[in-house]
Amino acid sequence: MLPPRRPPRLPLKAIFYDSFLSNGLLLFTAFVIVGAFIVMFRLLNVLIKMQQIQIYKEQGFEAFQEAQARPMENFWNNMYKRWTKVVPVEKEEDILFDHNYDGIKELDNSLPPWWVAMFYITIAFAGIYLFYFHVSGVGKSSKEQYEVEVKKAEIAIAAFQAKQADKVDEENLVPLEKETDIAAGKTLFTTNCVACHGALGEGGVGPNMTDNFWIHGGSVKNIYQTIKNGVPEKGMIAWSNQLRPADMHRLASYILTLQGTNPPNGKAPEGTEFVPEAAATPQDTTATPAEPAAPIGSGQ
Amino acid sequence: MAQVEKFHYDNAIVRNFAYATMIWGLVGMLVGLIIALQLIFPQLNLGIAEVSYGRLRPLHTNAVIFAFVGNGIFTGVYYSLQRLLKARMFSKVLSNFHFWGWQAIIVAAALTLPLGLTSLHEYAELEWPIDLAIALVWIGFGINMFGTILKRRENHLYVAIWFYIATWVTVTVLHVGNNLELPVSAFKSYPVFAGVQDALIQWWYGHNAVAFFLTTPYLGLMYYFLPKAANRPVYSYKLSIIHFWALIFIYIWAGPHHLLYTSLPDWAQSLGTVFSVMLIAPSWGGMLNGLLTLRGAWDRVRQDPILKFMVVAVTAYGMSTFEGPMLSLKSVNAISHFTDWTIGHVHIGALGWNGFLTFGMLYWLIPRLFSTKLYSEKLANTHFWIGTLGIMFYAIPLYWAGWTQSLMWKEFTPDGFLKYGNFLETVTQILPMYAMRVVGGTYIWPEISLWYTIWSRRSAPARSLATKQPKRLHWLARMACTKANTGTAGWKEGLFKCFYLRP
Repeated sequence: MLPPRRPPRLPLKAIFYDSFLSNGLLLFTAFVIVGAFIVMFRLLNVLIKMQQIQIYKEQGFEAFQEAQARPMENFWNNMYKRWTKVVPVEKEEDILFDHNYDGIKELDNSLPPWWVAMFYITIAFAGIYLFYFHVSGVGKSSKEQYEVEVKKAEIAIAAFQAKQADKVDEENLVPLEKETDIAAGKTLFTTNCVACHGALGEGGVGPNMTDNFWIHGGSVKNIYQTIKNGVPEKGMIAWSNQLRPADMHRLASYILTLQGTNPPNGKAPEGTEFVPEAAATPQDTTATPAEPAAPIGSGQ
Repeated sequence: MAQVEKFHYDNAIVRNFAYATMIWGLVGMLVGLIIALQLIFPQLNLGIAEVSYGRLRPLHTNAVIFAFVGNGIFTGVYYSLQRLLKARMFSKVLSNFHFWGWQAIIVAAALTLPLGLTSLHEYAELEWPIDLAIALVWIGFGINMFGTILKRRENHLYVAIWFYIATWVTVTVLHVGNNLELPVSAFKSYPVFAGVQDALIQWWYGHNAVAFFLTTPYLGLMYYFLPKAANRPVYSYKLSIIHFWALIFIYIWAGPHHLLYTSLPDWAQSLGTVFSVMLIAPSWGGMLNGLLTLRGAWDRVRQDPILKFMVVAVTAYGMSTFEGPMLSLKSVNAISHFTDWTIGHVHIGALGWNGFLTFGMLYWLIPRLFSTKLYSEKLANTHFWIGTLGIMFYAIPLYWAGWTQSLMWKEFTPDGFLKYGNFLETVTQILPMYAMRVVGGTYIWPEISLWYTIWSRRSAPARSLATKQPKRLHWLARMACTKANTGTAGWKEGLFKCFYLRP
């Protein structure tokens, strides 16, 4: 089992400013919305009062009292009329065209003002959108957006990895010996490596991991580098895109425990014999194997 | 006294197209159900390449768009055009050429697509010989339509016909533009455009196939069949003019919204986005004119299954034409792109707008075409409810699946790796949603209820039909009838009744 991963942690400063900015903006927006609502309701009230005064002037006190009793109803009725401009069904004879297409007639209702307003708003939106992204220089292009996101992620990742207890020092690697680390390495091997290197490391498309012959060096540091950068021309991918440094370290350590296990169907040795003392002076890691086995080529 | 001109509408061609609509509707949707099942049970492809998902999926889309909706368009156009122009179709030969040519093209598609013969442009997968055939048949249809318009007995063209004309003109341009290809053999060709230009042309076409094959002709059908079924005047002539011109002008620019965050230049992407947003109002103009035409008829909507189908169709149209512009905003598209949200979105349009308007139209049309009455209103109502539930069961799980996919794809570990690095993890996660979507496939079956009306017409009493040709009675019956009617007060009327059975 893999040790449980810790949640990501950004540097305190970044967290503070990030959340301060976004939360502050949210709060500000909320204030603006609430404020706008209050202002709107005040305006509404004033409008209603003005309308009532109008009624008082034109129709006298009784009508005014009646209007006072149902202020909202009047308001909504007026709004509805103003924004739909609809001729009621009972009066539609007045606006009926003399068109008659196979019995289909047409009315001359005006365009619903709310619909016209919506159309204008979307047209204005189009102008603003194009200005924002292509004229003002403020809106980010797709490429800029991508770069900003990647940069942000890189900073977060670096910050996270610096704080990890299992941070890997690539220059001074030593094989891990803790049982949990080896078990984790085995899990990783089973998940990612067996397809080419065999369930027991006996080799297949890729070379045998159990003998002491290595193409790219057999120290834990050599193996770590091979896993990390891969050997793309032979079909071994660079695992640094998928595995954490600590996991690659565990994996390399596990692979070293396979030495001398001599599983059945082991693939013939490839590369040069590795002498542990030689680890300090690694050989030419790009040397081609003396006798490349056919499956390596076919695996690409 | 002016001579009364006498002519008959060609109903046979309308009947043929109606049959084809119903048959291909079943076939196309069944193929859809099969591939939906294959997503849950991959072994259902039986290991045969010809019936595997990748081959059947284009068959499903082509069958539903061009066979089901296509024949639906032609059914409605051939019926309404003649009546709106007070003229028989221009040429019987061209009508038949159109009908049989179109069916042959569909059969050709159903054969070549499973065989893997494809030009790889979505919704334009058919290879070049079939493309040529489509162009030919389409031009035949055009001559027939414009010929009829030229010999019309009506001064003005009703709004439905503007939509039919816009459809014909634009589909011609789109079909030719997107199928410019160099044949290398009888069944293989390569498009003349390459790279992002090819993609842009493809989505200019793909988007406007939705606009001018699934939308404008159906708006035309709505403008004819909805006022007819509701027996109400169209709400606003002005609105129909403004939204028509706005719609066809703006739609054609919106294609690039399919290519957001791609190598397409940013300015072109933005153009696609803003034109999509500006499309909301013109699209809603159609919805409003449809729904507001029903003012004063809403009491009947509660009972009449035909109006119910139409109301849901127009509402679904309004929903998906609002959702579309939202999806074309970059920030929303970043969530939805490549997910099943898109599939849910298009099926609101296909099942709701196209499917339900077709069913509404057919339920109205078939009794009139076959001079009978609806086999059972109850059955039609059941169809409506099962269909509505089907749409819900289809769309909601896919919206859910889309969001799930999007969230999973973008989940990173603190080390910067994809949390779900294996694509399969996101697939297994949404399998339950896929299963529910299959339940939504119940949408298909009640279509059979349409056939009942046709099958049962012999046993059902004939119903008043204005368009039906008067049928002469047998001479013996005529004699008997005349004898019985002469001498009575309204003998002239009686005599006439005896000569012609006015159904």
